[in-house]
Amino acid sequence: MKDLEQYLRDNKPVVKDDPTFLLETRHRLEAVEGIKGEVDRQRRSGRKALVAALAGGLALGAGLSALGFLYPVNPDSVGQGILDSLCLFVQHYREYLLLPTALLAIGLGLVLFKGKGSLSGSGF
Amino acid sequence: MDQERFISLVKAEQEPLRRFLLGLCCGDAALADDIAQDALVRAYVASGSFLGLSKFSTWLFRIAYNCYIDHCRKPGRDYDDLDSREAVAVPSDDASDGRFRYQMLYQALEKLPEKEKAAIVLFYFEDKSIKEISAILGMPSGTVKYELNQGRGHLRQYISL
Repeated sequence: MKDLEQYLRDNKPVVKDDPTFLLETRHRLEAVEGIKGEVDRQRRSGRKALVAALAGGLALGAGLSALGFLYPVNPDSVGQGILDSLCLFVQHYREYLLLPTALLAIGLGLVLFKGKGSLSGSGF
Repeated sequence: MDQERFISLVKAEQEPLRRFLLGLCCGDAALADDIAQDALVRAYVASGSFLGLSKFSTWLFRIAYNCYIDHCRKPGRDYDDLDSREAVAVPSDDASDGRFRYQMLYQALEKLPEKEKAAIVLFYFEDKSIKEISAILGMPSGTVKYELNQGRGHLRQYISL
């Protein structure tokens, strides 16, 4: 038993002194800092967009509510009419509506795909 | 923790860390250094969670061990021939004898289960206490002693002294 323990203690692996190791570590940490900065920047811009959307939504909602209070209408007489005209509009122009909708969906898909690709292609 | 402080802490720990991983990787110095770099990046990213409740080295070794385990679990892991590996710098005048001794040791270590190997490497190569090994491997002290006993038993079968 003692022989084995002595053998293990006498044969500790010896690592080669490699000055590039810490240099490589420093480079990797700098890359991490870069990614952290980019993530922070995206988070900040996302937060700004969220606040802007919230403020816009509140303003729009408040405006519409104010209009609703200022100019009350009979919902039964108008609601049916709006729905009917909307259905008629879609029926008549469905060929023309389909194309921009499809283009919009494809464009959105491309934008999302590009955004995802730029994040995963950062080499980390 | 800022980058300079982290680097200064790592400077003191890089040699034991690389030696620990070299033992776990059974002499594959390139792989050990790769895992060490991964561990250092992970440690840096998680450095905000280091509260100083344990030693920095214990915390770093634990991260490195987890990186090593992750590497072992990767599908398609290379099992290259030990004979083809370059023996590390040998502290002996008789280079060929030393090279053979290291090869024998690494071949024996490679046959050990991961936990036994880690316990043996930490206890004999890094001179860590049972308590520290317990913290690094995330197992109770009694289990560490058991793994050490088992490891010694297995090594006695594989190494002819």
